[in-house]
Amino acid sequence: MNIRPATFALIVFFAAILAFFCIFAPRFATPSTFENLMAGFSFVAILAIGQSFPILTRGIDLSIGAIVAVVGMVTFDLSLIFHLPGYIILPIALLVGTLAGAINGLLIVYLRLQPFIATLATLATYRGLVYAISGRQLVPGLSTTPISDKWITGLENYYDVGGWLGLSKLIGMPWFPLSFFVMLGLFALFQIILLGTRFGRDVHTVGGNFEAARLAGINTGRIIIAAYAISGFCAGVAALLLVARLTTSTEALGFGMELTAIAAAVIGGVSLAGGVGSVFGPALGAFFLGVVLLGLTQMGISQYVQQIITGAILLAAVGYDRLLVLRRQRRVTANISQVAADG
Amino acid sequence: MTEDNKLPATDRRDFLKTIMLGSAALGGAATGLMGKINVATGDIGVSQARAADARVKMAFVQFAPHTVSTAWSAGIAEVLATQQIVDYQALDGQGKLEVQVSLMDQLISDGTQVIFLQPVDSVGVAPSIAKAKRAGISVITLNIDATEPHAAHVEMNHYFGAMDIAKAMGDAMGGKGEVAILNAPPGIIIRDQRTNGFVDGLKMHHPDIKVVADQVADWDRKKAQDVLTTILAANPNLGGVYGVNDSMAMGAMDVAKEKGLKLVIFGNDGEKAALEAIEAGDMTGTQYTDVFQQGRLAAAVATVIATGMVPAGAFGAQGHLLMPYVIATKDTVGSIQPSQRW
Repeated sequence: MNIRPATFALIVFFAAILAFFCIFAPRFATPSTFENLMAGFSFVAILAIGQSFPILTRGIDLSIGAIVAVVGMVTFDLSLIFHLPGYIILPIALLVGTLAGAINGLLIVYLRLQPFIATLATLATYRGLVYAISGRQLVPGLSTTPISDKWITGLENYYDVGGWLGLSKLIGMPWFPLSFFVMLGLFALFQIILLGTRFGRDVHTVGGNFEAARLAGINTGRIIIAAYAISGFCAGVAALLLVARLTTSTEALGFGMELTAIAAAVIGGVSLAGGVGSVFGPALGAFFLGVVLLGLTQMGISQYVQQIITGAILLAAVGYDRLLVLRRQRRVTANISQVAADG
Repeated sequence: MTEDNKLPATDRRDFLKTIMLGSAALGGAATGLMGKINVATGDIGVSQARAADARVKMAFVQFAPHTVSTAWSAGIAEVLATQQIVDYQALDGQGKLEVQVSLMDQLISDGTQVIFLQPVDSVGVAPSIAKAKRAGISVITLNIDATEPHAAHVEMNHYFGAMDIAKAMGDAMGGKGEVAILNAPPGIIIRDQRTNGFVDGLKMHHPDIKVVADQVADWDRKKAQDVLTTILAANPNLGGVYGVNDSMAMGAMDVAKEKGLKLVIFGNDGEKAALEAIEAGDMTGTQYTDVFQQGRLAAAVATVIATGMVPAGAFGAQGHLLMPYVIATKDTVGSIQPSQRW
């Protein structure tokens, strides 16, 4: 597998920024920092992995924050109002997330809406739906009742991997949160799908050149719907992990998370022009943002400055992406003129 | 003395060297041995160098920057600065539960000793508080309590204050009419306290006043304007509005001004802008609490805990402190001094 320049640049930059904080932030190079990083940003990585599918098809999914809230509230209601057991709630919750994503795809394909408009509309609709179905408002008293179902709260668990491997005797090792392994699992699954299956190639083709994909006989509609469904599914997984961490769900859960996920995907080298990118980059991009935020907080940098720095990083990533796109176009143009000259 | 007088001139250099070494040793002893501050017994062998090691970290995780939390932070910082040994920082929860939880995680691993917390959600922060307690960190909540018991909770007198608001509001309305409540989103205990206190107060003092609407306006002035406009369309005879915080009450005031309505408007908190609106006659009243003082009291509790080296596990039950308050109306608002306005 060829490592694309954008991915390579990200890995180098990630390592550099990690080294920087380990040296300059007073307590950064400690196991607990890395535990916090994994616990606090694995769900962002999962959202970013999901987000990369719509972006790969040259779309965007603005509704994932709202889907997180819908899935969270469905989980809340099923557990605290209907008292269903967790092993039934979990698949229902994931199904709801996937469906909510698929609806985005259906709107885009069958109503021919711009992805931006379609998902902006569902963002508002889903968020409104959360208030309508909110068990916190429907049943007084539930807003201060935690979810205690073991199947759900069990998702917030930590493993002493270092101890099992005997590494803890050598260096201080963080305990790994379950959410990190869930993220790794999803990453492996979707990376294999993207690189190793026909569906994965089709996603790239549809995003790279929609017309060519259609003419080549690819069922573009199905690919697009599937891409948004995957995004919704990932939002569902992230929601379950969040609910487990918080032992409750709120109407505002996931607010603004779509922007973080999009930022992580773009920093991870998924081109907004479509057709270029993997899910490795977005996952790493999410942790990159995490390292920057944790590191700057530990250095006592004001959170307003942190937002400016995050914005600057995003701007740099988009600029770099744009540069690569232009270079690609120039190469294609050069090739064509070469062919024309030869002919 | 006689020995010294006998010193030959050639030994002078050695003598100077000894003096230098001696003073260096003394200096070392001062920083190394005498400099330690024993916070348990209060013995202080002050030395700047050692004091740096004995510093105590405290942090305030806000809901989001707001007039109230900013004033708390000012009060907290004022007291902690006098203690000389405390490093204090205020952090922005961005109104998001997951941000607060992540900040709590960071503070816990950062060796912070006391965390002041204004939770976004009373249940959602409970696992973080439990985690802090396991690490021996004391958590002091401000205004919004959490379902997980912790060191102490310092709050405005929400329930009884709201009862008094209901009484004052009913008096201003002549004991009858319709009122609307502009409320906070559910999930926060003070929403219930401030609402229940108001409703119970009306029942007790003014049973003829009816609550015709109770809608969520997200603590926000702009949102309150929109929500009240909708409420007014359905209830044109509305006589009064109770905003669960001043921002929402001032949103109601904006609507009343714009439409030229005579509404009895009460808020809750007592921020500077609300007090000025009361003086100007645009707002009827509010429950005023000296929020600087609330911050100072929380910081005092924190300092005692930290310097007494009381770990989070030592608390048998959660401490609870209610702030005194004034129902500020046109008649009473003058008694609130400029230095108490926030």
